[in-house]
Amino acid sequence: MTDRMMRASPDLADAPLVVTTEVKSALRLTAMNDVAARLGLKLGMALADARAMYPGLMARDADLQADRRLLEAIADWCDRYTPLVGLDVPDGLVLDITGCTHLFGGEVALCRDIVTRLARQGLRARTAVADTVGCAWAVARYGQKSIAVCVVASEETRAVLLPLPLAALRIAPKIDAQLAEVGLKSIADVIERPRAPLAARFGQNFLRRLDQAVGREDEPITPRMPLPSVIAERRFADPIALEADVLGTIEQLAREMSGALERRGEGARLLQVALFRTDGKVHRMEIGTAAPVRESERVRRLFAERLATLGDACDPGFGFDMVRLSALVTERQDPTQTGLAAPDHAAELSHLIDRFGARFGLRRIVRLMPHDSHIPEFAVTAIPAHAVKAVGNTALALRAEPCMQTDQETLAPIRPIRLLQRPEPIEATAEVPDGPPVQFTWRRVNYLVAHAEGPERIAMEWWRDSQGRALTRDYFRVESRVGVRVWLYREGFFQDATPPRWYLHGLFA
Amino acid sequence: MPSAAARDMLCHLRQRLAAQDIASTGENFSFPLGAEEALRPLGLPAIDSVLAGGFALGALHELAPVAPHHLGAAMGFALAVATLNAAGNASGRKALWIQTDFAGLEGGAPYGPGLDLFGLAMEHILVLSVARPIDALWAAEEALKSRALLAVVAELPQQGAAADLTATRRLSLAARAGNGLGLLIRHQRTPLASAAMTRWEVAGAPSTPDRFGGIGRTAFDLVLKRNRRGPCGRFIVSWDHVARVFIPQALPLGLAATAHDRPNDARIARFG
Repeated sequence: MTDRMMRASPDLADAPLVVTTEVKSALRLTAMNDVAARLGLKLGMALADARAMYPGLMARDADLQADRRLLEAIADWCDRYTPLVGLDVPDGLVLDITGCTHLFGGEVALCRDIVTRLARQGLRARTAVADTVGCAWAVARYGQKSIAVCVVASEETRAVLLPLPLAALRIAPKIDAQLAEVGLKSIADVIERPRAPLAARFGQNFLRRLDQAVGREDEPITPRMPLPSVIAERRFADPIALEADVLGTIEQLAREMSGALERRGEGARLLQVALFRTDGKVHRMEIGTAAPVRESERVRRLFAERLATLGDACDPGFGFDMVRLSALVTERQDPTQTGLAAPDHAAELSHLIDRFGARFGLRRIVRLMPHDSHIPEFAVTAIPAHAVKAVGNTALALRAEPCMQTDQETLAPIRPIRLLQRPEPIEATAEVPDGPPVQFTWRRVNYLVAHAEGPERIAMEWWRDSQGRALTRDYFRVESRVGVRVWLYREGFFQDATPPRWYLHGLFA
Repeated sequence: MPSAAARDMLCHLRQRLAAQDIASTGENFSFPLGAEEALRPLGLPAIDSVLAGGFALGALHELAPVAPHHLGAAMGFALAVATLNAAGNASGRKALWIQTDFAGLEGGAPYGPGLDLFGLAMEHILVLSVARPIDALWAAEEALKSRALLAVVAELPQQGAAADLTATRRLSLAARAGNGLGLLIRHQRTPLASAAMTRWEVAGAPSTPDRFGGIGRTAFDLVLKRNRRGPCGRFIVSWDHVARVFIPQALPLGLAATAHDRPNDARIARFG
């Protein structure tokens, strides 16, 4: 905590700084920096006492939200080492580095890398590597304070755990106090004892923690982000900052990834690029596609569109020192035979849809599908074009039976080709109360009606509307003397309390 | 006469060869590509002769309603032209309708069932809504360059000031590169200079009522204001939504073609 505050305001570097929290209506110290620790202050001491000892003490309130955000930012950044990063609130992270260590030159080198990079960002860290989460946690927090990196070999797990206090097993402080009353202070005291009485007295959870630490029981990590199927990454000794370089790197990574995807017979539907800045920030961009994609050129174009819209939001700072491309969702992609004869419009179109989706968002490009509803606004649904395959051929098969085509005996279409988003109120006068209007005023222009057809009564769904607000509509198709054809309706009946009103809903050709 | 599939194949092969040539020499050859579709005829001899055959592919055409309440007519005419008589549509290509959010608020959006009943199946239309007119023009350019679409219609609100001479020139070049049909609809007619091949003003015309006194066939009153390939004129046509063809409508009065903006070698045609 104090590291975060010292990062934020550098003038605090030499002053003793403590963080206080209100515990039972007294401000107590919950964290302190090195200078304060050397002065002999202890955690849990009241702030008043500490101030009495050292009047020049700087005290700040604890801000758990900010701490949590910082922890999440560091967890995002630790994604460069392994995708399995779990949060260990309030101030720790758990990383599963199985299989990743060879990329960094060994476990010790990986830990040293973490510690030095975090130190460069102004944060002090202690790391421990062990076979089990429990052992690593214990060694990191309760091991020797002077060593920042500690690697525990698998055969030493038990031996390393023995001298540590029981609090290192992540048990509740109440249970720790009870164990201390009985005289059990370190793990060595507990590990050889018969288990049944311990479980009966101190709870099953205590034994579970012990087993997890020693390795008898498995403990998985809950990763913060979903695990991608395929990853390709590249590290730079000299950080890159130009957009052209980033796009070129993405294309090369896509080429590597396409080999892996091709072997699996899959294509990527959701791709993510993570750009790791040298100062610890991580930018992520995601692209979804309509059809599985493998070609590196297409991937590069999609990310070029996305970068064009992001603009300054993706600020490189001093440069990116690692770029990672991961395929979060993959789908089976069979190789298609593209003939030389027939131009492949479908693939071209799906690529165009992907590019528009990358630029504007996938929900902006839609296809219109009929929907079975007599209410005009809901008679058609707009489905994002990339999801049409998911909707499947059933919707299109139902279209084989045309919804309204055969009902038209008239020369003019009975539905408008443009529907306003909200029906606009107009003033209309009709000859007879239930009849079509003879003239109406829309957007301050008066129209005299030459021909009219209707009414077409569309009642709202009574089962949806419990308050009786949705009124029945009588639709008329009217044509004015100059040739303007519109679709308007009268809402409500004359017997109702409020007089019916007229609205204009759509325009005909 | 080769079959439609063979024609399709030949034209695609020619395009690929042309693309190879362009890639290797870096120049843009504009030699005619033979059987490639170059025109969309409307089926009306009066209009087709003025347009030198029909709506030229590989070009941008502009439409505007005469007054804002004729927006439906402009849209109907645009869509009819976009999906009509496409020779290469055996593969089921789609038309793209690009609209800015504000245009959708002002004039509404394409309505699926209405499109079906007008004679245009709603499966053949993709609707893209963008936030700004610049985005709409960018999307139209990209869509025209890719050869995947039957036609690209972009709708800009008000006078569409973003589509000035430079922008329309870019769209024309993109249309030529992709041999697509580009249609630009503005909500209000504008005197702005534009690089479009033709410029139309569309209004709805009074329809001849059917024998029961109801509304008759959809009729359009088209004014061709600017034409690079021939004279201008005014035409009144009807649209038959069942047969999906244009029908010339008998004019109530004689109209003479306004003979300006014509190139030297154009034939002068008289109508009315």
